[in-house]
Amino acid sequence: MELKDQLTSISGSLGHLLPELILLAALVIVLVLGLILKKNKQAILHAISFIALLLAFFVTIQNWPQQPHSLFGGMMRLDDFSSFFKLLFFTGGFLTIIISPRKEERAAPEYAILILAIVLGSCLLAMSMNFVMVLLSLELISLSSYVLAGFAFDRKSAEGSLKYFLFGTVATACMIYGMSLIYGLSGTLDFSSNQFIEALMDNHSELLVVASFLIIAGLLFKISAVPFHLWAPDVYESAPTAVVAFLSVVPKLAGFAILIKIVLSLNLFGQSMITWGTVVAVISLLSILVGNLSALVQTNPKRMLAYSSIAQSGFLLIGLATISMEGIHFSMFYSVIFLLMNFLVFATLKQFENSISIESINNFSGLGRNSFLLAFSLLIGLIALTGLPPTAGFTAKLLLFTSLWSAYQDSQSIILIILFIVGLVNTVVALFYYLKIPYLLFLKVPATGAAPLKTSYSGNLLHLILVVMLIYLFLAPSGLMGWINQITFVL
Amino acid sequence: MHLLSLLIFTPILVGLLALFIPSRFVNTFRIISLGVSIAQIIILIQILFQYQYTAGFQLAEKLPWISLDLGSIGLLQAEYFVALDGLSLSMVALSVGIFLIAIISSWTIEKNRKGYFILLLILNGAIIGSFCALDFLLFYVFFEFMLLPMYFLIGIWGGAKREYASIKFFLYTLLGSILILIVIVALYLSFQTPESGERIVHTFNVLSMYNMENLIPNSLLSLDSTNVLGPYSFRLWAFLLLLIGFMIKLPAVPLHTWLPDAHVEAPTPISVILAALLLKFGGYGLLRFAYPIFPDAAIHFSWLVGLIGLVSIIYGALNALSAKDLKRMIAYSSVSHMGFVLLGIASGTVAGITGAVYQMFSHGIISAMLFVIAGVLYDRTHDRLINNYSGLSSKMKNYTAFVLIAFFASMGLPGFAGFMGEVMIFLGAFQSQTINGLVPHWMAITATLGLLLSAAYYLWTIQRMFYGPFSLKNSTVELTDLNSREYTMLLPLALAAIIFGVLPQLLLNFINPFAGDFVNVLFQNLLTH
Repeated sequence: MELKDQLTSISGSLGHLLPELILLAALVIVLVLGLILKKNKQAILHAISFIALLLAFFVTIQNWPQQPHSLFGGMMRLDDFSSFFKLLFFTGGFLTIIISPRKEERAAPEYAILILAIVLGSCLLAMSMNFVMVLLSLELISLSSYVLAGFAFDRKSAEGSLKYFLFGTVATACMIYGMSLIYGLSGTLDFSSNQFIEALMDNHSELLVVASFLIIAGLLFKISAVPFHLWAPDVYESAPTAVVAFLSVVPKLAGFAILIKIVLSLNLFGQSMITWGTVVAVISLLSILVGNLSALVQTNPKRMLAYSSIAQSGFLLIGLATISMEGIHFSMFYSVIFLLMNFLVFATLKQFENSISIESINNFSGLGRNSFLLAFSLLIGLIALTGLPPTAGFTAKLLLFTSLWSAYQDSQSIILIILFIVGLVNTVVALFYYLKIPYLLFLKVPATGAAPLKTSYSGNLLHLILVVMLIYLFLAPSGLMGWINQITFVL
Repeated sequence: MHLLSLLIFTPILVGLLALFIPSRFVNTFRIISLGVSIAQIIILIQILFQYQYTAGFQLAEKLPWISLDLGSIGLLQAEYFVALDGLSLSMVALSVGIFLIAIISSWTIEKNRKGYFILLLILNGAIIGSFCALDFLLFYVFFEFMLLPMYFLIGIWGGAKREYASIKFFLYTLLGSILILIVIVALYLSFQTPESGERIVHTFNVLSMYNMENLIPNSLLSLDSTNVLGPYSFRLWAFLLLLIGFMIKLPAVPLHTWLPDAHVEAPTPISVILAALLLKFGGYGLLRFAYPIFPDAAIHFSWLVGLIGLVSIIYGALNALSAKDLKRMIAYSSVSHMGFVLLGIASGTVAGITGAVYQMFSHGIISAMLFVIAGVLYDRTHDRLINNYSGLSSKMKNYTAFVLIAFFASMGLPGFAGFMGEVMIFLGAFQSQTINGLVPHWMAITATLGLLLSAAYYLWTIQRMFYGPFSLKNSTVELTDLNSREYTMLLPLALAAIIFGVLPQLLLNFINPFAGDFVNVLFQNLLTH
């Protein structure tokens, strides 16, 4: 391609990246203002990031891509699939800003910048069609996450951050190694191209399998699926609550989006040497089991939610395990619900954290009586995570298991029916630990004459909105599902 | 007139509105609850006027609820579909009555009245909703919706070991309902609506599931499916899962261990609801879902159902005999009586099915009475151990009279409601071998032992607690006889226990057409396929 053509292509592509450019602009503004503004005025930085994320959200809706656009010579592609996930990232971003503390925050500019950077990286990752682009955007997310995980500025937080970093680097290294092997086998880094598919179809070798596993491993690390989950509990325990809420949703969903694309590509329309659906099913099964069983014995709520989040990754993967369009649609539905319920739980925990130490679940004893609304919101969030009616968590799980049964009916693959039964029965295990906090909140008598917790109207309003959405999507899921059904361009 | 929706949603809506009443108006909550219960009785009377004594569903209300496009899987369709037949009407009538008693019994609750009565109202709507629902998803939602209120009601207002009991109750029941959910997912993917055209419309409609024509060919649950998982076909497995799920609720031995704990720890009104209503979902679920949807599997496993029923009868009765705690004794007697329900269902005869439903209804009345009786004593002495009492009849004459009525009714003495149910169950069980060969004679014969044992534990309890010289261990309270609130609970229950024993036709008018139809459909489906 001529240089001139390349330049036209690049400048033409920029127009499609408006939401990302908005984020980038906000990032630069925050960076500069952070240097100029006085310490007590830095709440404005949060406001700027919030507005930028909101703006990006609406711009994405406004420019909803009817047709996929290939950008930057095939490095990325803007399509409805990636736009869908971008909306989730923006939502996750501004919810995080809302629940982040505004006062007495050390390094407020950096905090906002890192959040914006992770959202930006997630958007780019969801659009990537090329291994190099995957790597670059993944690193943008990872490096920012490592720093963000240390934002409690204490010993423990630093330890969590370092662990995250060490595990993460190894995962990235594995991934790069896998990519280089695949590049050697196929001669291209564009994993959606015909050349890539054809080359791999002619090249059924064990080496390909190893290389594919290495790449997948890097992504599984990002979504904290078993056996690449070991970092999650330490990071979740030590990072600030708002950061945990963010890290457990946005990078995870970004990793999940690109995992869908890469697994579908490596699956070679069912012609690959190993059945990737089975691999994903096994990982999903392990994540659900390990996550739920480990969560049972935790006494630190954030650590418990870390394991719960591992189990939730397992549920997210169920749709992909069926390697079907419906399954992926249901996983996308689950992603939306997961975003809502996870933020609901962390937002309420954050409110509790304003008054009590949430190091141990025992501190929640008896608080439900005086702070009913807060405790009730937490209850609904946890019920939704368990997957019980009347919350959308139930609908989402019902749909995932529907696709699983249907896939089993078609393929008779024994792992799918095992996953079906184990996944559902795990609800009982999950309930046992999810109910621990509501149990203490409502059933225990407060230790001393505890005063009602400090709650803010804005906080309560946020909880109420999330609760109402979770119940509304249970009663009327058709709108959201109908919209997701129209999403067709995955690869 | 949307009588059923009115019946289901009045308590739920009132409960939600009551959330906004400040909790310092403590008395309003119980008055509101009482008002709702009375309103429900008025609605029920209207329903009874409109209901015709025939088989089939009446007063149906149907609204589209969820309609989802599942891509190549087809369309998912769930409806808000409620209706009544003889089975559900008797259960709904029982629920409405029992809730009135439970609210009167709750009058003395002091701790956090607002929360208590709101939970009770939600529970009320959920229970009636589950009895009316004819859409499997709707049923499941109402069914699950009962768990949380019940968990909190036992866990907050219960006795000393309430926390253990409530979580045990929750986990057991949830396990049961998850097993049911597994089957629901499999079922709705295997059935289509009769009118589905090009694209398959998957339905949760239970009536569509009754008709084998609606099975999607080549689905895993279709009749000609050759797929097996281990020893059984998928249809047999699905039936077994439903059976286990509902047997946890019933509860049948060996899945009954949550019941004694929950009963002993629950406050009196909650024990009443638990025994009189929640246990009925076991029998109801088998009759409404498991049997008609899987008639072939039901016939195949009828010996198992009968055997579990038999074991529950004997084992429950033996445990009741050895129980030291009055409430525990009553709880085990429930296990034993619910065993009769299983035996009646297993027999697959009109008499057996009629008896099973009758037994469910009469057990609802009698067990409610038994728990009220236990509560009366506990309120006075805070002691439930049978051996700590003696000669109560000399101090509490009227109370003793009601105890005798309740015990004799529960024993199944002629003239009481318990008698009718058990007689018909035995009739069915003895007929079974000659009519359809489902339950062998020896099971029916052995089950009579249960009658003997129940007479033994009741009479022995009466002898220990009420006769002999008066004495109270560990307690020096002055015992008083029944007060007017207790009369208002016990009198209607005692009357009902006698009326339904003397005039069984009142109830049989509803149950008999249902049972006849049920048995016809069961075997017809089997013959045509």
